[in-house]
Amino acid sequence: MLSKSIKYMQLAAAYVRLNLLAQLEYRGAFISQVVSMILNDVIWVIFWCLFFNRFPVLRGWTMSDFLTLWCLSASGFGLSAAVFGNSLQLPVLIARGQLDVWMLYPRALLPHLLLGRMSATAIGDILFGYVVYIAVVHPDLPHFLLFAALSLCVAMVFVGFNIATGSLSFYLGNAEGLAEQLRFALITFSTYPSTLFEGAIKVVLYTLIPAGFISYLPVESLRSLSWQDAALSLAGALAVLAVGVAMFYHGMSRYESGNLVEMRG
Amino acid sequence: MNAVELDRLYKTFLLKKGNGFRRTQQEVVAVDSISLSVEQGQSVAFIGPNGAGKSTTIKMLTGILHPTGGCAQVLGLVPWAERGQLAGKIGVVFGQRSQLWYHLPPDDTFDLLARIYDLDKQMYAKRKAMLVDRFDLGQFIKTPVRKLSLGQRMRAEVAASLLHQPKVIFLDEPTIGLDVVARHELRDLLREWNREDGLTIFLTSHDAGDIESVSKRVIIINHGSVVFDDKVSTLRRRYLGAKVLSLKFHEPPKTFSMPGVTVVKANGYALKLEVDTNLVEIEQVIQHLLRSGPVADITIEDPPLEEVIAHIYGQRKLDSEEQSCQEGKRQDGSREANLATTSRLISNCASLSDSQAKEVRSP
Repeated sequence: MLSKSIKYMQLAAAYVRLNLLAQLEYRGAFISQVVSMILNDVIWVIFWCLFFNRFPVLRGWTMSDFLTLWCLSASGFGLSAAVFGNSLQLPVLIARGQLDVWMLYPRALLPHLLLGRMSATAIGDILFGYVVYIAVVHPDLPHFLLFAALSLCVAMVFVGFNIATGSLSFYLGNAEGLAEQLRFALITFSTYPSTLFEGAIKVVLYTLIPAGFISYLPVESLRSLSWQDAALSLAGALAVLAVGVAMFYHGMSRYESGNLVEMRG
Repeated sequence: MNAVELDRLYKTFLLKKGNGFRRTQQEVVAVDSISLSVEQGQSVAFIGPNGAGKSTTIKMLTGILHPTGGCAQVLGLVPWAERGQLAGKIGVVFGQRSQLWYHLPPDDTFDLLARIYDLDKQMYAKRKAMLVDRFDLGQFIKTPVRKLSLGQRMRAEVAASLLHQPKVIFLDEPTIGLDVVARHELRDLLREWNREDGLTIFLTSHDAGDIESVSKRVIIINHGSVVFDDKVSTLRRRYLGAKVLSLKFHEPPKTFSMPGVTVVKANGYALKLEVDTNLVEIEQVIQHLLRSGPVADITIEDPPLEEVIAHIYGQRKLDSEEQSCQEGKRQDGSREANLATTSRLISNCASLSDSQAKEVRSP
């Protein structure tokens, strides 16, 4: 089991290397995408800085908490899209019958398939998340290590949610638009403090659109260095991932192969 | 052990018809109870018109699709139930789907494939060096795939699919879009690998040249059923029972007419005829022609393979008499082997029915 996991990690590293090399074939385009994503994130943070200058506390959250939230969301999303970039393409791949090529290898279909692509802008999100957290929030070592671990949990939430929404294509035919709307909903909710939401919406944020496992539990864990909240974040992330994986493999029985001309990379 | 065995393999699809909310579903039979076997080291062309069920069959044999009924084994494994295990033993080349990274050199994809197939480093280095040499990839192994010609790309594609030393290779239209030279190169390579390395080749192509050059046996399917399964040389003789006669005369010949003979082309001193040998003996036709005028040159040819194939494709299905005759012939040759194969396949498939269900749920 351990050696199998190590081999998958090595395969993931090989894919990341190859995807990065493919991106670097067009260096100008790659760098401009990374920089534009960083700028996009920075502009949002400037907006919220202006807000917190005027209202220093929002439902118990300070500017530092808010920055932590943005850094976690950005780095988590970045990791999910940089390493498992095909999770964003899943609805299209399923609807067009393009899983065929991935089924011809002696590897588990889903993890192998997800590794096949990298989003260039995601690198910008990772850089933004880590650099701003270190440079602006000034964490000590335990906080930084917890941040790194929690960003992996957040990445799991994004990947799991993308798999689940992408797998809707098995049942609806082409769920590309719906999956995109749901993804945007998760991103939107995960960049606002969960303390803003109450009642039914809070229930939604821990079930249908699991932003609570991004915008509340991980931040609470970092605020008070709470291992309990960290464990809950991990449990939530694993649950979202499990739902996504279950939906994908259940949907595979409905998969219809396609005949599109295609190239990788 | 046979490399590929199919026993009454059957596949249907639900076809949706109509627009908007007025839609109906119709069950379409894509593969209709195909039974056949391919020995290890054989090179087989598996052909048929568009929509005949070739790709569906290949997808079932590579584990991509589950059949509706029947059973199949590739190298002793049930493809859809033991896909992961089988993938390490077969190679697949889809002419229209590339496994090479478009923006990177083939060398990088080879490295990745070595990781995917978990190849030993030294073994991989040796194998790659050998493939680079035999497929003549040295000049462009470090060039991004997008900058390669289609012929170079296909050579690299086939080499990539042989990296893990598969026992069987499935090739779906490998020469599509290639120029004449590139086609010849690829066909030569495939023939060489089949002959020297005992690689079992399962080829689909619409190009009669591919079939003649690479394969000794041809299986034609149409409307989901096998309509022909024999040697390529038998294909011509059997199906049209025709010969093409080309003649040149010293002086314009008399008007020629004979039952069973069709004038394909008449051009002054030259005449091209198609002779239905089921209706008239070729000797009779030649004797008749010699009386028509002084013959300067005469050639007798088999009709082009494309024509034979087009003729078969044009048929709805073999009439029952011909079909049973064909089946009888096949069974005569390998009745005992087929009986053993069928009983083994059925027992293996039955024992794997549980793992089929697992395959859907788990990687």
